[in-house]
Parts: sequence; structure tokens; C-alpha cells
Amino acid sequence: MDTLQHLILGFGVALSPTNLLIAAMGCFIGTIVGLLPGLGPINGVAILMPLAFAMKLPPEASLILLAAVYIGCEYGGRISSILLNVPGDAGAIMTALDGYPMARKGLGGVALSISAWSSFVGSLVATIGIVLMAPLLASWALSFGPAEYFALMCFAFACIAGLMGDAPVKAGLAAIIGLSMSCVGLDSNSGVYRFTGGDIHLSDGIQFVVVVIGVFSISELLLMLQQHHSNAGMVTQTGRMLFNWLELKSTWWGTLRSSVVGFAVGVLPGAGATIASAMTYSMEKSLTDKEGTFGQGDIRGVAAPEAANNSAATGSFVPMLTLGVPGSGTTAVMVGALSLYNITPGPALFTQQPDLVWGLIASLFVANVILLVLNIPLVGVFTKVLSVPNWLLVPGIVAVSSVGVYAVHATTFDLVLMTGLGFAAYLLRKQGVPMAPLILGFVLGDMMEQNLRRALSISNGDASILVGSPITIGLWVAAALMLVVPIGMRLLAGRRRAEVTAV
Amino acid sequence: MSDRLLGAVCVVASAAMAWAAQDYAAAISYEPVGPRAFPMLLSVGLGLSGLWLVLHPTAGAESFRGVPWKATALCACAVLVYALLFQWLGFALATALMALPVGMAFGGSWKQALAGGAALGLVLFLLFDKVLDVVLPTGPLSAVLGGS
Repeated sequence: MDTLQHLILGFGVALSPTNLLIAAMGCFIGTIVGLLPGLGPINGVAILMPLAFAMKLPPEASLILLAAVYIGCEYGGRISSILLNVPGDAGAIMTALDGYPMARKGLGGVALSISAWSSFVGSLVATIGIVLMAPLLASWALSFGPAEYFALMCFAFACIAGLMGDAPVKAGLAAIIGLSMSCVGLDSNSGVYRFTGGDIHLSDGIQFVVVVIGVFSISELLLMLQQHHSNAGMVTQTGRMLFNWLELKSTWWGTLRSSVVGFAVGVLPGAGATIASAMTYSMEKSLTDKEGTFGQGDIRGVAAPEAANNSAATGSFVPMLTLGVPGSGTTAVMVGALSLYNITPGPALFTQQPDLVWGLIASLFVANVILLVLNIPLVGVFTKVLSVPNWLLVPGIVAVSSVGVYAVHATTFDLVLMTGLGFAAYLLRKQGVPMAPLILGFVLGDMMEQNLRRALSISNGDASILVGSPITIGLWVAAALMLVVPIGMRLLAGRRRAEVTAV
Repeated sequence: MSDRLLGAVCVVASAAMAWAAQDYAAAISYEPVGPRAFPMLLSVGLGLSGLWLVLHPTAGAESFRGVPWKATALCACAVLVYALLFQWLGFALATALMALPVGMAFGGSWKQALAGGAALGLVLFLLFDKVLDVVLPTGPLSAVLGGS
């Protein structure tokens, strides 16, 4: 059992006292970031990434920290959904539908504990999924050549454009902007400086940290100005703190089903927690809701989407770890974090740095146990965080973000570039241009260009190599389907709606 | 700003990109695809998606309705000034200065924002610089904060 051996090795890494402490810190911070409305996993991971680097954490420790924050956010989002009716992050939107009515009925404590439990089950199922699937996928991906990688990255962009945006053109535009930004700086193959405008600060390219913080921290707080949340609607009387046997039994199968579906959705690039929780909520509704109680505080409607958003978030580690091609904005940020350490994720990582990969996987198990322990008894502590006023919180976020950017190169230039990118990202986001494809483009840009050039070098400039193997053809077809099917379905749905209104 | 304007900006940007990239060439070329191809490809993509948005806009200016312009502009300026002064004024002072307008834009009174900013500046400085070993600029307060 090769996998088992590796897993034991991974637990050795994850259970070292330092890494255990780091995971616990990450879980705590993640839960807080997740429950704050307006801040989601990507913001938390983006803000912490440069700090982890600046604190000189070793790569596996900083990856464990970021992963714990990511998973912690998925736990934290439900708290404000249930108590405030304001989702703490996008994955927790569905949880509010039944969670808040439950809290209004005095079952807030039950909703919180059952959702912590189903989050735990979801993550656990997905982590087991990673253990089973990742080594297989990685060993298969080892045979990928540059042409396959180029096609794979195009597939990832097609997924994210087809599944994420309601406006695929805008998602595509975002990806192109990200890819273009990655071209800035010295071209390593030819020694040509591109788009630097002669500025020495740009000769090394735009720093990843600067882009991420600008896009996900500075622009976020400008957006937060528009959405004032008050704690007026907060339910404080939470009643019984723990779910009982009957409640556990009634949610059990729904939780398991949603976990499996969530994992499958999470593995697919571009989809992720938001889509997974929406999908499973409606799936559970159609499967089990005979009495029509969904939406009025049905416990099954709380458990299912929470299981799904956690398993989807965990599942999104699969493409990142095995292929080196992240499938979501948050994992894209993690790939960028690894690049700070000069580590390129991909199938080779499983053989070259098994302690890093398996340490991360093992720490997902560990982090989930910590989160379950943190989230059931300490939920009261976390709800206190919701009463931190924005006039203190937002300047704090600006300060911490700037520390992260400053820590990398200690230049004013990077800070100014961060604000500039933040303003541009704000304008783009107001226009409905999604930022996840942009960050994906920025992370993948260099790899994509290198693979394209390498592929064409192999074939001496003959572009037919890009469709030269069954794998590439399969990926291109899948990419085309990803683009065409959702758009086609939307068009069909639109036409049907138009017909109805016409009648 | 509507979709149409965004599209127009993209078309202009794509032209600028193509213009800047036209003479990127390797001094000695040993591969069939040089440094120019990929940026050119992207500039075509940028131009085409810009054109699409100009011709098929789905959103007009209404996406900017309800934006609190004054507060947004104030925050944006405060963050920019913060970025410019960060190194020169030192972390603690610059943070306190930034927290005043940003805090007030987020509903704090000037007293709250000032006190909060001063506390943030000091606490975060001590946390990062002293505890977590992330070196931060001290500025004029270097004598007090024990700067390097």
C-alpha cells in the first residue's frame, strides 16, 4: 500500500507540534474571515499568503496554514448565514435559506452544530476522495507533454468561463487580462523585456502578491462601502446547543449524498463551493422534501449545502495538486504562494516532494478535526467577532494587506501598484467582470506560454501538434462542450422565458 | 461606465498592446515561436472581446447606481496616500493617518476612527515587527519603536 505509507508520512508532517499549531491558527483565522460578511476564503488566503512568506514559514507549513484558512472559511460562512441571514461567504448563501428560519424558531444552536457536523462529514469525504484519486490522476498526468498541458489550461479557462460567469465573454476578458499581466517583465527564453515601459521595478514582472492583494483586498473594501450590514437582525437566543440523534439520522443520507456530489463538482475546474451548495440544496429539496418544509427551517436544508460547500472546497485541491492547474481562484492563489518558494505544483510534486503533498493532505484531516472541535463549543466566541465594527475592521484589513505587500520587496512602488490594481479591479468588478479567471490567468500565464512555445518547438512550428494526441483532442472537445453547453442552455431557458412572457 | 465603454477601453488597450509588442524579437532565435507571439495572440483576444462588448452590451450605466461616490473616492484616496507614505512615515503613523478617513467612511465618528487607527498602528506594528519578525518601516518614530 503505497498510498498508506505516504499518508503516514504526511501525518508525520502534519502532526509535528509547529504544524499542528499553525493548522489550529489557520482554522481559527479562517473561521473568522469566513463569518465576516464580505470576506471569503479567497480574501483570507490572499491576505495571509504574503505574511506566511514574510514570517519565513517553510513551504509545507505555509501551505498548511492557507489550506486551514480555506477550509475554515467554509465552516465560518455558515455562522453569519444562520444567525444574521447574511451569508459570510458565497458558499454559504444556501445555508441561510433554512438556517435563519431555524434560528428564528429558537433552534439556532441546533442549526450551528448540525452544519458544523455536516461540514466535517463533507470535508472528510472529500479528503478521502483526494487520497484515493490524487495519486492516480498524478501518475496519469506525468505522461502529459507541453501540448497536453496547453490544452488542459485552455480547458480550465473554458470551465471557468462556462460555469462561473453569467457573461462568459466577461470571464474570458478577465482571463485575457490576467494572462496579459503575466507577460510583463523579462521573457526568460529570449531575454526580451516586455511591457515594462523601461521601469526597473517591472523587469522582474508584476509581483503575484501585489496582484492578489490589490484585486481581493483593496477592491473588496471599496465594494464593502456599498453593502452596510447591521447586526440588528442577529438572533442571539440560540437555544439547545447540540443536535439530537433523530436530527442526525434525518440528515445523514442527505449529508453523505451532498458530500459526494460536492466533491465531484469541486474537482471540476471553475465550479466550486457556490455551485455545489446550490446544486445539492435543490437536489435534496426534490429528493426528500415531501412536506414542502424546505425554506422554512428544515434541518436537512441546512446540512446538505454545508456538506457540499466544504467537500467542493476540499475537492478543488485535486486539480491543483495533481495537474498543477488550479480550478478555483482560491487554489490559484495557493499556486502563487508555492511559486514564492519556487515550487511548481504538478504531478511531479508527488514523487519529488511527497512530504509537502501528503503533509497537506494529512493536515486537511487534522484541520477538520480542529475545526469541528472549535466550531461546536466555541461558536459563541466567533459570533462576538460579528460585533467588531467596520470602522475598525476595514482599516485593519488595509494595514495587514499592506504589510503583506511591503514584506515581499519593501518598496513603495509595489504598494502604489497594489492600490492602482485595486482601483482597476473595483471598476471591473462593478461591471460584472469576475476576478477568479483573472487571477487564474495571471497564475497560469507563464506556464501556458512556455508550454505553447515548447510544444511548437518540438514540432518545429507545426501547430497541428496541439491536436496531435487523443488526450489533447479529448480536452479540446471537453473545453468546447464546457463553453457551448451552458450558453446553449441559458439561451434555451431565455427563449422559453421570452415565449412565456410573449403569451 | 457601461459595457460599451469597457469594450472600447479594451479595444484601445489591445491596440496599445499590439503596438508595444510588435518589435519584441529575440536577438538570436533558436525556437520557432518567439516572445512576440503570445502577447499578440492575447491582444487579438482582448480586442475581440472588447468589440463583442461594444456590439452586444448587456449592462448599461446602471451597474454603478447606488455607489456612494464620496465615500468611495475618499477611501480610494486614503489608501493611495497610505501607499505613498507607508515607507516614509513609518507603519504606525501611516496606519493611524489612513484609519481616520477610512474609518469615518465606514461609519465611525472621528474620535473612534482616530483612536482605532492609533491602536491598530501600534498593536499591528508590535505584532508583526516584534513578534512575527516581519520588518516594518518605523519612520520618524524609530527612536520610540526601536527601529533598525
